[in-house]
Amino acid sequence: MRRIVMILALLLCVAPGALAQQVKPIVHLLDNGMTVLLVPRTGDPNISAGWIAKVGSVNEHPGITGVAHLFEHMMFKGTETIGTIDAAADRRVIEQLDRLRAEIRKHEQELLRQQRVGEIDDWRDREHRSQAHQDLLEEFDSALGEQRGLIIKDDFDRIYTGEGGSGMNAGTDYDFTVYFINVPANKLELWFWMESDRLMNPVFREFYSERDVVHEERRLRTDSTPTGLLDEQFEATFWESSPYSWPVVGWPSDLYGLTREEALEFFDVNYAPNNISAALVGGFDPEEAIALAERYFGRIPRGEREPEPVRTWEVKQQGEKRMIGYADTSPQVRIRYHGVADGHVDEPALLVLGQLLSGRTGRLFKSLVEEQGIATSVSGGQNGRRWDGYFEIQGTAKQGHTPEEVESAIYAELERLKTEPVPDRELQKVKNQNAAAEFRRLQSSFGLLLQLLIAEGYRGWETINTTGPKLQAVSAEDIQRVANTYFEPEARAVAIYYRSQGSEPEDPRLAGLDDQERQQINMVRQQLAQAAPDQLDQMRQQLAQTTAMAAQVPEENQDMFQLMLELISERIEELEGEQE
Amino acid sequence: MKTVSGLRPPTLAMIGLLAMTTGVIAQQEIVSHPLELSFPELDFQPPDGAALRHELSTGTVAYVAEDHALPLVNIAILIRSGEYTAPAMLKPGVASLAGSQMRAGGAASLSSSELDEELDFLAAQIRTGIGSTRGSANMNCLAKDLDRCLDRFFEILRQPRYDQERIDLAKSQQLQRMEQRNDDTGGIERREWSRLLYGDAHFSTHATTEAELDAITRQDLLAFHAYAVHPGNFIFAISGDVQTEEILGKIEARLSDWPGAEAPGDVPKPGVEPQPGLYLVHKEDVNQGRVSIGHLSTVISNPDRFALQIMNNILGGGGFTSRILSRVRSDEGLAYSAGSAFGLGTHYDGSFRAFFQSRSAAVARATSIVIDEIGRIRTEKVSDEELANAKASFIDTFSRNFASAEQIAGLFANLELQGRDIGLVSTYRDDMAAVTADDVLRVAQEYLHPDRLVILAVGNVDDMLAGDLDNPEFSLEAMASGGSVTRIALPDPMTMEYAGR
Repeated sequence: MRRIVMILALLLCVAPGALAQQVKPIVHLLDNGMTVLLVPRTGDPNISAGWIAKVGSVNEHPGITGVAHLFEHMMFKGTETIGTIDAAADRRVIEQLDRLRAEIRKHEQELLRQQRVGEIDDWRDREHRSQAHQDLLEEFDSALGEQRGLIIKDDFDRIYTGEGGSGMNAGTDYDFTVYFINVPANKLELWFWMESDRLMNPVFREFYSERDVVHEERRLRTDSTPTGLLDEQFEATFWESSPYSWPVVGWPSDLYGLTREEALEFFDVNYAPNNISAALVGGFDPEEAIALAERYFGRIPRGEREPEPVRTWEVKQQGEKRMIGYADTSPQVRIRYHGVADGHVDEPALLVLGQLLSGRTGRLFKSLVEEQGIATSVSGGQNGRRWDGYFEIQGTAKQGHTPEEVESAIYAELERLKTEPVPDRELQKVKNQNAAAEFRRLQSSFGLLLQLLIAEGYRGWETINTTGPKLQAVSAEDIQRVANTYFEPEARAVAIYYRSQGSEPEDPRLAGLDDQERQQINMVRQQLAQAAPDQLDQMRQQLAQTTAMAAQVPEENQDMFQLMLELISERIEELEGEQE
Repeated sequence: MKTVSGLRPPTLAMIGLLAMTTGVIAQQEIVSHPLELSFPELDFQPPDGAALRHELSTGTVAYVAEDHALPLVNIAILIRSGEYTAPAMLKPGVASLAGSQMRAGGAASLSSSELDEELDFLAAQIRTGIGSTRGSANMNCLAKDLDRCLDRFFEILRQPRYDQERIDLAKSQQLQRMEQRNDDTGGIERREWSRLLYGDAHFSTHATTEAELDAITRQDLLAFHAYAVHPGNFIFAISGDVQTEEILGKIEARLSDWPGAEAPGDVPKPGVEPQPGLYLVHKEDVNQGRVSIGHLSTVISNPDRFALQIMNNILGGGGFTSRILSRVRSDEGLAYSAGSAFGLGTHYDGSFRAFFQSRSAAVARATSIVIDEIGRIRTEKVSDEELANAKASFIDTFSRNFASAEQIAGLFANLELQGRDIGLVSTYRDDMAAVTADDVLRVAQEYLHPDRLVILAVGNVDDMLAGDLDNPEFSLEAMASGGSVTRIALPDPMTMEYAGR
C-alpha cells in the first residue's frame, strides 16, 4: 500500500563495489538551492521521477513525533488548484475546522487530566464528554460535511492515473522523506507541474481524518504485528538521548494532539527547495528537463530559515541493556551495538564485516545453523543513519534451543573476528559480490532513481560511486580492528523474545516442561475448551488413539505427553457432566 | 532494450536550447491546471514476440532479449510442474521441498556447502523453486563467468545432490514457519480465504502437516525431480549481455543428451462451491480486523477479461481513484488499506476479493460500505471520467511491462507457459480502449454476486461484533448472506486439525 514507512533493508542493497560502473548524472543546481539530477536513457518509453526532502522523524521533537510521516500523507491532499472546486470556500472551512479543533482540544486536555489522576479509564469514551464538548464535535462534523462538498476526492492521484502515471508512492524514514512515480516518457511536463505545485501551494485539507488513517497505519504495522510493539520498545531502549528513539509513525498521544499549524510550520522549514533534491531516470532529453526544472521548480522561493542540524547526540552508554519480551513469535534474540553514522571512516569495514557474518556462506549461518544446529536463521549488519548508527545481529532459535544459546554462539563468532584475521579468500568472496552488485543495481531505472535520491538524503549522490572503492579497500586488519573497537558488552542492548504463554495462571503440572512443550499443551487446552458435548464420541476415540501412541513418544517428551492425556480425560469427564 | 524513437517533443527541445543560452525560459507561462497541458504522442510499440522466440532442436522453446548495457546475463527457466502433479509417489509437500533443495542441496560434483561457496565467490545468483502450479530456476551472473555458471546451473538442474543435512535443515525451518501459522492475522486470512473458496480437498489449499513433512525422504525428492524436472517441461527466458545464436548453442549443447520425459497432467479443478455467509476467526490480542469479501471469479482466457479488469479497477483495484478505497479510507478514515482484486485464474476460476483492515469497532461499518459499492457498480453505469481513468491506467502504463530485456523475455515465456497467444500484446491496448460503460455494467451484473458473498473477518470477534457505539446501525451478523454465521477455530498449526469438525 501507499505511503509506507520506508523499510531500511532497501539501503543495504545499495552497497556498491569496485568494477565501478560509475553513475554520472547531469547535475543542475537551481538558484533557490534545489539540486536536480538527470540520468537520460535514450529510447526508454518511461521516466522514473522523484524527489527527496532531507527531513524525517529525527528532525521532530517530543510532542510532534509522527509529524514528518503525517506530513507525507498530507502531500497527496492537493493544492490551491488540485483537489477543490472552490479554493476560497475550502480555506474558510479549513480555518473553521482548526478553530473548532483547538476548542475541542481544551476539553480533551481536561479529560486527559482526569485520566492522568485516575478518575477515568479512557479519555476517548463518549460517556465522559461534557455537553459542550459533544456539541463542538458535532459542529466539527457538520463543517467536515460542508467541506466534503468542496473537495474533489484524491484529485492528485486521479490526474496522474488518468495520464498513465504508475507506482506513485512516498516513504518516510528516520532521516528523509522520498516521493516517486513512473510516468510515460511524453508526460515529463506533467510531473514538473504536479510536483512543483504541491511544493509551492499545498493545502492540508482533510488533516484530521488523515490523522485517523495514520492511526490505522500504526495499528496495522505496529500494534497488530507479533513483535511490532516490542521492536518499538527495543528501539526506545537502545537510544537514550537520540531522537532515533521514537518511531517514525509517532507515539499515539502525539498523533492525537498534532495540529495543522504544526504541520505547516514543519513544512515551511523542511520542504523548502534548499532542502530538496529531485532526480529523473529514463527516456527524456536533458536540455528539455533542465528548462522545465528552471521554469517549474525555479519559481519556488528559497526557505526563509535554513533547516537546523540535529542537535541532540546520543550519550555514551554506560552499561549493557537487556530487555525480555513475550509475543506470538518464535524465540529469538536481537543484539545491537552502538556504532557509527553513515560516512564514518570505519563504516566500510563494518559493512564488510556484516557481509562476512551473513548470507548462506556467512559465518553465522555456517556455525549456528549448519554446524551447531541451534538456530534456524541468523544475520547481521552495519546500519549507518545520518546522525548515528549501530551494528545489529538477529537470530531465531531452533526448536529445543533457547535464544540465550544463540546469543552466546553469536558472541563466540564476534570474539573470533577480534582475535583471528579473516582469510583472504573469504574476504575476496565478499568483495566479488560487491563488485557484481555495482552492475546489478543499475538494472532498473526506478532502482537507480531511489539510490540517487536516498544517497542525496544522506551525504550526496556521489557516494553511490565512492562507497564501492572503499569497500574494496577494506583489509583483514581493518576488520579485526573495528571488531575490537565496537563489539564491547557495555555498548550493546540485547532483546530476547519468548513465545507468549497466554495469560492464564500456571498449572503446576507445567513445571519441568520447556517452552515448546508448554506451547503444545496450551494448544491442546484451547482446542479442548472449544469441544462440545456432541463430540464426545470422537474425543473418546482420540484419547484411545493417543494413548496407543505412547511408545513412539521420545523419552524427553513423556511428561508432556502424559499431561496431554490427563487434560483430554478431564475434558471428557467435564463434557459428560454437561450432557447429563 | 528495444529502442523507441520519436519521443522527443521538438518544440520543447527548442525551448530547452533557449534556456541553455539565454536563461529566459523561467518566465514562460505556466498553465493554470495540469489538464490544460498538451503532450506529444508516445510512439511505443511492444516488441515482436515471434522475433524473439526460438525453438531448439530438442523442441524446447527459448525467448532471447539481448541487452548489452551491462555485463550481466540472466537465464530464467519456467518449469511446467507443481504441487498439483500427482504421480503415485508424490506425497504432500514433496514438490516444494524438491524445488528449493535443487539449489540448496548441492550438485553431482559438489556438496551443498561447496556449491554455496563457489557460487558466492563467483557472485552468481541461482535460485530454484516449485510452487503450486509452476516451477522456476533462475540464474544471474557476470558475462565473463557465463560458461562456468552455466555448467553449475545445469548440474544443479540435472543432478541435484539433495544432501541429507540440508533436507533436515529445510525441514526444521519449515517446522518453525508452521508453528507461526496462527501468529499473524494476515496469514490466517489468506489461508482461510482459500479454504472457503476452494475447499479442503483441493491441492491449492493443502497446508503440509508436521507428520507429512516428517514422512518426506531424500528418495521422494529424487523421484519427484526425475519425474518433473526435464527439458520437456522447460521454457527459457534469456536476457542480457548475450549473442542470441551463441547462447542458444550453449543451451542446446547442455540439453542434447537430456531427454524430455512425460508431460504433467492437467491441473485439477476445485470440486466444491463456496458457501456464502459470514465466517469469523477469533484472535484475542489484535485491535484491527482483517476482512475479505467475495466469491469465485473466472479464468484468464475469458473474452470479458478486459471489461472485468476495468470494472474492478473502478470498484477497488485502482488505488486512490477507486471507489472502495476512496469511501472507506478517504471519506470515512476507517482503514489504511482497502480495495478489491478480480483474480483471473489460469487453470480454474480465480477469486474476486474485496478487502480492508480496520479497527475492530469499525469493521461492520466498513463492510457495509464495501457491500454497497459491490451493489452500486451492478446497478449504475460508471461515469465517463472513471472509465477514461481506468482505461488510461492500463493503456498508458502498458509500456512499463517492457521496461527491461528481462521483463520482455519473461513476459513472452510466461504467455507461452499459460498456453496463450504471444500476439496478444499487440492488440491489448485496443482491446482495453474498446471497453464501454455498458460493457462494465454488463460484466458487473454477470460476474459479481452480492447474494453469494463469502465474508471472512479475522480479528477480535467480540469487538468486531459489538461494533461502534457511535454507529449502532451497522451489524456484521446482519450482513451475512442467508444469515449464516460460522466461527472457525484456529487449527493446531502442526496437524492442521480444526477443532469442532
